[in-house]
Amino acid sequence: MLSMIIANLRRRPTRTVFTAAGIAVGVATIVALLSFTQGLRNTAAGIAHLGGSELSVFQANVSDPTASVLPLSLVSQMQSKPYVASATPLLLMIESIKSEPGAVVFGADPRGFFTRRLVLISGKNEQQAGSGGRGILVGERLASHLHLAPGGALVVHGRAFRVEGVYHSGIFYEDSGAVLPLAVAQALTGRGGETTSVAIDLASNARASTAGKAIERDFPGTQVISTTEQALRAGANATLISKAILVIVVIALIIGAIGVTNTMALAIIERQSELGLLSTVGWSPVRVASLILGEGIAVSVLGAAAGLLLGVVGGDLLVRALGVSTYISPSFTAWGLGRGLLVGVAIGVLGGIYPAWRVTRMQPLKALSGT
Amino acid sequence: MNDSGAEVDVEHVQKRFGKVSALRDVTLQVSSGEAVGITGRSGSGKSTLLALIGGLDRADQGKVLIDGQPIWRRRHPAHARREIVGFVFQRHLLLESLSALVNVEVPLLGSGMRHGDRRRRALSLLDEVGLAHRSAHLPSQLSGGERQRVAVARAIANEPRLLLADEPTGALDSATSERVLDLLFGLRDRLGMTMIVVSYDAALGPRTDRTITLIDGEVVQDTGPAHTVGSENVKPC
Repeated sequence: MLSMIIANLRRRPTRTVFTAAGIAVGVATIVALLSFTQGLRNTAAGIAHLGGSELSVFQANVSDPTASVLPLSLVSQMQSKPYVASATPLLLMIESIKSEPGAVVFGADPRGFFTRRLVLISGKNEQQAGSGGRGILVGERLASHLHLAPGGALVVHGRAFRVEGVYHSGIFYEDSGAVLPLAVAQALTGRGGETTSVAIDLASNARASTAGKAIERDFPGTQVISTTEQALRAGANATLISKAILVIVVIALIIGAIGVTNTMALAIIERQSELGLLSTVGWSPVRVASLILGEGIAVSVLGAAAGLLLGVVGGDLLVRALGVSTYISPSFTAWGLGRGLLVGVAIGVLGGIYPAWRVTRMQPLKALSGT
Repeated sequence: MNDSGAEVDVEHVQKRFGKVSALRDVTLQVSSGEAVGITGRSGSGKSTLLALIGGLDRADQGKVLIDGQPIWRRRHPAHARREIVGFVFQRHLLLESLSALVNVEVPLLGSGMRHGDRRRRALSLLDEVGLAHRSAHLPSQLSGGERQRVAVARAIANEPRLLLADEPTGALDSATSERVLDLLFGLRDRLGMTMIVVSYDAALGPRTDRTITLIDGEVVQDTGPAHTVGSENVKPC
């Protein structure tokens, strides 16, 4: 049976290649979109652990965590709680770098753990020494995109800052952004006495879930983000994107299945005599249908394999070509690739079912005469 | 006659295609191991009768029994076809993308035979029709006569007890036709199967035990040993 499936696919190479290519595009789209979703999740998770903190506190019920506004006085109140080891304020500045609007500039306390934990790759951290004011620290991804190095200049909110150093933190948001002293950031944005969030390091005996509930209870109007799921829920936009991607995946599945159905149905009409002959020589309708279904699945697996490759390479290239790598970093997981493959096979199964069913209804004599 | 051939009973069979009556109250019997020729003009119902006997179509009225059982009442007609009937058509109907060997192997798929055994059986069948040396060739690389011989090998792959041939030499020149008929009747003699051959070919007559003539869907002549020796059952036209 397998040799017949392979022979039949090889008999019409153009049709096989075009069908597989159609499926490949669908699977590639799905793989790329899933990688973007995963990247989005990773990015969202980053906001929960800014500065390597165990949890972050934001204003409750905001459309996006970056729109949060908290009074700076909360920081010392939180610091006094027994379950908090350390608390540091972070003022998030969005779209403040014209050339990289996706980059986030963090206004951070120079003596807080956020600034202290930045690992300098080049230059110096003068903010920690208290001499900051005209200086800015730049994340390695942003530095790479803008070709910045210590001594260079970066304009934030219309004001030029000298690049003191380039850092690495391992957190997408931070490495794609820059860090200014909190006071400077507050002055730039006109948000004196305010912060966007408070990054919290917990006491050694405290649990994140328990402490999170305690903070939300002790400081009404705040929400605590300590997990990826919470981060995704907190960001209405991220949720929206995830749902939109799900819809696109389903649409790709339907379009792919219709394509395979169409191709296989045409193949059946063309091959009536051949299928009638198989029935004549004793193949049961189920066996003939299995051949058709098998061909549909085989061409889908071919398409899916090509689609996986295309999705991985194309997703990365697309992000680079569009210059949106500061917003999205595609992340490919085994489960994401597996889902792409599953969708490809599902396209073959769904697309082959109707033609295979038609084969079971075929009268051998009519099929033999091609009527 | 050999007992390994199937018995065929056609009882008062009628078949219509729209307003056209293809077969009208056809009744005939074919004994085990008998070789029967069916002749008649184009449109006389020869191929329709063969298709009904082989279970490729159903009669509107009447019964077709193989060894006393209706083929359509078996577990599935396709299984009955595999187990009992072998077909040879005017067009060889070989699968163009498959080699001669695999074409012969096709009816054996699903028979429960293992791959190696299937291959050996297909090769020995090709050897039987004198084409073992052409086993790897595609149908397009074979002559018309060779293709028909591959089709014959395919028809006997499952050791059928009833071989049905519909104009097996219709697309061949006279010399090749003779060789194909020699092959078919030689196989029938050796394997003892019942054989029904539809043909215009006058050369077929002397080779068969009986000849049935159809005109406008009716049996008008049935000659041979199933009837009184030396007599002919002739219906008025």
